Amino acid sequence: MRLKRPGEAREFEVEVTAGEGADVRATIDGREIEAQLEPLADGSTILTIDGRRIRVIASRRRDTIIVAAGPASFEFSLIAERGARAAHGLVTPEVSAPMPGKVLKVLVHEGQRVEAGAPLLIMEAMKMETTLYAEGAAVVKRIAAGPGDAVEHGALLIELSPVADPSAPAPDGQDS
Amino acid sequence: MTASYARDSQVDRIRKLLVANRGEIALRIFRTARALGIATVGVYSDADAGAPYLALADEVRRIGPPEAAASYLNGEAILGAARAVGADAIHPGYGFLSERPGFARAVVESGLIFVGPPAAAMVALGDKVAARRLAVQAGVPVVPGLDVADPAAVRAFAAQVGFPILVKAAAGGGGRGMRVVASERELDDALQAATREAQAAFGDGRLFVEKYLARPRHVEVQVLGDRHGKIVTLGERDCSIQRRHQKVIEESPAPGLDGAIRARMAQAAVSLFRAAGYVNAGTAEFLVEGANFYFLEANTRLQVEHPVTEMRFGCDLVAEQLRIAAGEAVSDPPTPAGHAIECRIYAEDAERAFQPVTGRVRYLNLPAGPGVRVDTHLAAGLEISTWYDGMLAKLVCWGTDRAQARERMVAALGEFSLLGVRHTAAFLRDVIASEAFSEAALSTRFVEEFFAAWRPGPADIDAALIAGAMAAEGGMASAPQLAARQSNAPAVSHSPWERLPRFELWGRR
Repeated sequence: MRLKRPGEAREFEVEVTAGEGADVRATIDGREIEAQLEPLADGSTILTIDGRRIRVIASRRRDTIIVAAGPASFEFSLIAERGARAAHGLVTPEVSAPMPGKVLKVLVHEGQRVEAGAPLLIMEAMKMETTLYAEGAAVVKRIAAGPGDAVEHGALLIELSPVADPSAPAPDGQDS
Repeated sequence: MTASYARDSQVDRIRKLLVANRGEIALRIFRTARALGIATVGVYSDADAGAPYLALADEVRRIGPPEAAASYLNGEAILGAARAVGADAIHPGYGFLSERPGFARAVVESGLIFVGPPAAAMVALGDKVAARRLAVQAGVPVVPGLDVADPAAVRAFAAQVGFPILVKAAAGGGGRGMRVVASERELDDALQAATREAQAAFGDGRLFVEKYLARPRHVEVQVLGDRHGKIVTLGERDCSIQRRHQKVIEESPAPGLDGAIRARMAQAAVSLFRAAGYVNAGTAEFLVEGANFYFLEANTRLQVEHPVTEMRFGCDLVAEQLRIAAGEAVSDPPTPAGHAIECRIYAEDAERAFQPVTGRVRYLNLPAGPGVRVDTHLAAGLEISTWYDGMLAKLVCWGTDRAQARERMVAALGEFSLLGVRHTAAFLRDVIASEAFSEAALSTRFVEEFFAAWRPGPADIDAALIAGAMAAEGGMASAPQLAARQSNAPAVSHSPWERLPRFELWGRR
């Protein structure tokens, strides 16, 4: 399966299979990793990799997976096996709220072309202002939130379309 | 220092204390009050109804909806609750109403004890502009700055001292409404954004500008004063390690601080608080650069990082606050010993500019051990929302010296495990374990200098991906299943979990 961390382009290809006894064999982006599992009574599990023991616990809700690995905490999204958007070179066609908060300003308009790194929208959460930027070159297709709107974590704010690029495949089916 | 609460017959004995706050500090105050035999009253907004930390109060009262303005900042609702339960004192904690002179005055006018300074002292020290003037009068050095942020005057000031300059909220604290302005080009935008943030956070958009120091340390002095005019200091805390201008790691004593500067800072703090007619616990914050120190601001309340001082001095500052509020004299501080470090664990994404995150606690493992203290309201099921500050826990470690405190902290952070809300414990562990921290290369730029591009270690990512993939599938796929999947045949129905029957993931229950 493919897992991705929110806000990052990089995807991880991960497969885990059962080995002998408590052993598992994992492949992460082609790297083979052997691990041993020790379930603990409190619901967590000790995962031993290369002699290093680390307490892990994970939970999935829909396409979001949360994991604690020692004191580190992670969120992953499960990527549907379509691959259409990667083909268009657009990292994320939707800009969603990285946290719950309030929209302060929308800095773009529908139909506008933006370059990678262009500021799109300013949000406020916990009284701090946060600017959201375009991850890649795109055209603003739809603006789904306006100034003053209170939005939840993950709420759709702006939809983007890939920029027409002669070297890219025809953008049919891009909306998934 | 803490043993003789209210033994003097002339003091106003506190019998029932209402804590006008929430989360870890409410819990912290409940604990001391209980130990002193004082009945405790907790107040809560709808967002905190049912929060496990409320179990430590003897009674609880709802004070309003989730919005802080209608609950924890609603002085009338809190005074109403105090009257309804017959409380005779109110402890404001930190944040919320703790530094609002109007509230302190209203509490006293209602015939109750305010566990904090008199309103007049709060006015004198609470406003950054007023405090700066008072410091200048008291002979305490200040950073070159300007009281009023009128753009033309700010330009003239910047031309004189040179960019960068720092724009702050006059009424502020905690980095809100604070902006570093690197050049004249950014000035107008920065002033506007800072005014908006200051207005939103404090209901007061007034600004203040000062020269931005290149690599200062943040060092603060803990002060206790009583009604009888006695003021003592309990050492200093180095709070240089900050993100978004808010402290995340604090320690005492300040490593490598020159003894002469330390003594002069303590003297300056006493002069300043004496000039303000201060009573109860307070803190004088300074920036230290080279052989110079400058008064930054005063905090007229208990500090978040007070446990660092408690661990080093073996005292209970909340108990001291209650004794002072009841009219007892401040006792001479005990002799400090060893070294203490505090890490604040926040519900934030350390890889994305420490943006706040939310969630619900699904699994929790807290550290313990010799010299380890955890101040937290975390418990299974606790909801972490954006209504309030996202601090999850304060982890405090004491050692006979800094090296031992640091080793204990690395081990303790390694034990901290929390599922359901992303948090900063792994970041803090890497900071404490780093050479830069070990060598005490401290300045308020520490995080940007050494940890700007922090990432979790590759071994942690691997472990997380394996656990995540297993959770995603509800278990591990067996080799035949993978083969079946690749050939688009229906998956084999038997669960690979049968081979590891006791292994369950939290989310599968």
